[in-house]
Amino acid sequence: MSSDPAAHQSRHPTLKQYVAIAIFLFVVTLVEFVIILPEDFRGAGWTIAPLAILSAIKFAAVIFFYMHLKFDNRLLTWIFLGGLALGVAVVFALVALFSVWTPSPRTWAEERAQPCLFDHEHGGCAPLAAAAPAEPAPDDGATESPGSSAPVAPAPAAGGLAAQGQAVFTGTGICMTCHTIDGVPGAVGIIGPDLTHIATDAATRQPGVSARDYITTSIVDPESFIAEGVERATPGLMTAAIVANLSDADVEALVEFLMQQE
Amino acid sequence: MAHQTDSGHHAGPQHAGGHGAEHATTTGIDHRKLLMWVFLSSDCLFFGSLIATYMVYRGQSLVGPYPVDIIDVPITTVSTFVLLCSSFAMVRALAATNEGNQSRIQFWLLMTAFLGAIFIGFQVYEFNLFRSEGLRIDTNLFGSTFFTLTGFHGAHVTLGIVWLLGLAWIARKGRLGPRTALDVELAGLYWHFVDIVWIVIFTLVYLIGGFDTGPALPEGTEILHSILPFLG
Repeated sequence: MSSDPAAHQSRHPTLKQYVAIAIFLFVVTLVEFVIILPEDFRGAGWTIAPLAILSAIKFAAVIFFYMHLKFDNRLLTWIFLGGLALGVAVVFALVALFSVWTPSPRTWAEERAQPCLFDHEHGGCAPLAAAAPAEPAPDDGATESPGSSAPVAPAPAAGGLAAQGQAVFTGTGICMTCHTIDGVPGAVGIIGPDLTHIATDAATRQPGVSARDYITTSIVDPESFIAEGVERATPGLMTAAIVANLSDADVEALVEFLMQQE
Repeated sequence: MAHQTDSGHHAGPQHAGGHGAEHATTTGIDHRKLLMWVFLSSDCLFFGSLIATYMVYRGQSLVGPYPVDIIDVPITTVSTFVLLCSSFAMVRALAATNEGNQSRIQFWLLMTAFLGAIFIGFQVYEFNLFRSEGLRIDTNLFGSTFFTLTGFHGAHVTLGIVWLLGLAWIARKGRLGPRTALDVELAGLYWHFVDIVWIVIFTLVYLIGGFDTGPALPEGTEILHSILPFLG
């Protein structure tokens, strides 16, 4: 290491070089930005390698020229690159440990996810599938002791099918996330029309269409009748995902259940 | 800055690193400079841990907002440009110090601090925007790791701004020059380091991770995505 100022000066980048590096950093950043400009490229796996390489090039340009490691005592380079290598090793080790060698927590959750219902009284989320059988239970009078049961059951006579319908309503159909029926636990949705008196209402909606037909059509093809005063938050919402999941038997049970909401 | 009194003994417009005349050194490197590089080396581990945490929890959030909902890459590209510019201003400040041009030293130091402050301004704007869109540090894993990582980087930048303003104050008194160039160089090393950390964060969190989406729901329940917002 010479202490001669002239020799020392020559080991530093000139203004021209500094400007060139600044422009270089600008251009590389711009290229990075352009890479993810097309919508199809955003988040695409293949972009990771070029982006990482460009980033590493910028990184090297700054430490070797702006921080003049290139012109300085070699020991400083090793000190810094040593720490950097350890830091990078930490990243790879932790990612390998938690993401590659063990299943990710979200994958675990995704595999076990069920539609759920927010429990306003107790807080938390009650799975719909669990909520459904809990309610119809007293209603199962059909098989145990017909007639004697359940003041809450709307119509004991058709208990079996209607109970199934209620299970669909609060379970697989997830109807209650959007529709309210007074007296049906969990059915407090406000996105769709209130169905508390749907059997009565349905009879008067369309001239020449029976209540049963009206309800059936409204489930199978929700866009056919739009009741007065109903605003559709998301047109097609019900058709798209819900109805597709219902079997004919589900629909039949559902209609039976709704026909009791007088 | 005790160094300034020491540095009076230096013979010429020397730059740090080579002169070991009055400091006993076995490496030929000024102790303060060596210390700074060791510190920066250890700071690599600090940010390495935060980045590792971000990577491990990337794409693991179960509730939104997810990166794709709120990350704004164009705006952050602009703030990245600003930070790169500040690094250029910093090397100009060091060059001016070596030349002993007092007004230029001040100008470039203040310019560096100013550009750093603009970067912080962008970050404050971004944090506020995210907060108003429902992302807090305790909202989900994305929020926790994002705010911790970028927040610590922002804290580094803020500390750098304070350091630069302190140097500018010393420069105002005419006490910065070739003999005390190491004072400016050390601040510069720190400042450039903060810049390279951002180069990495920008690539990982914005360019690569900025389009991450929410979890894939089981078949038949995707509808919950569209109705959950209404259910509040």
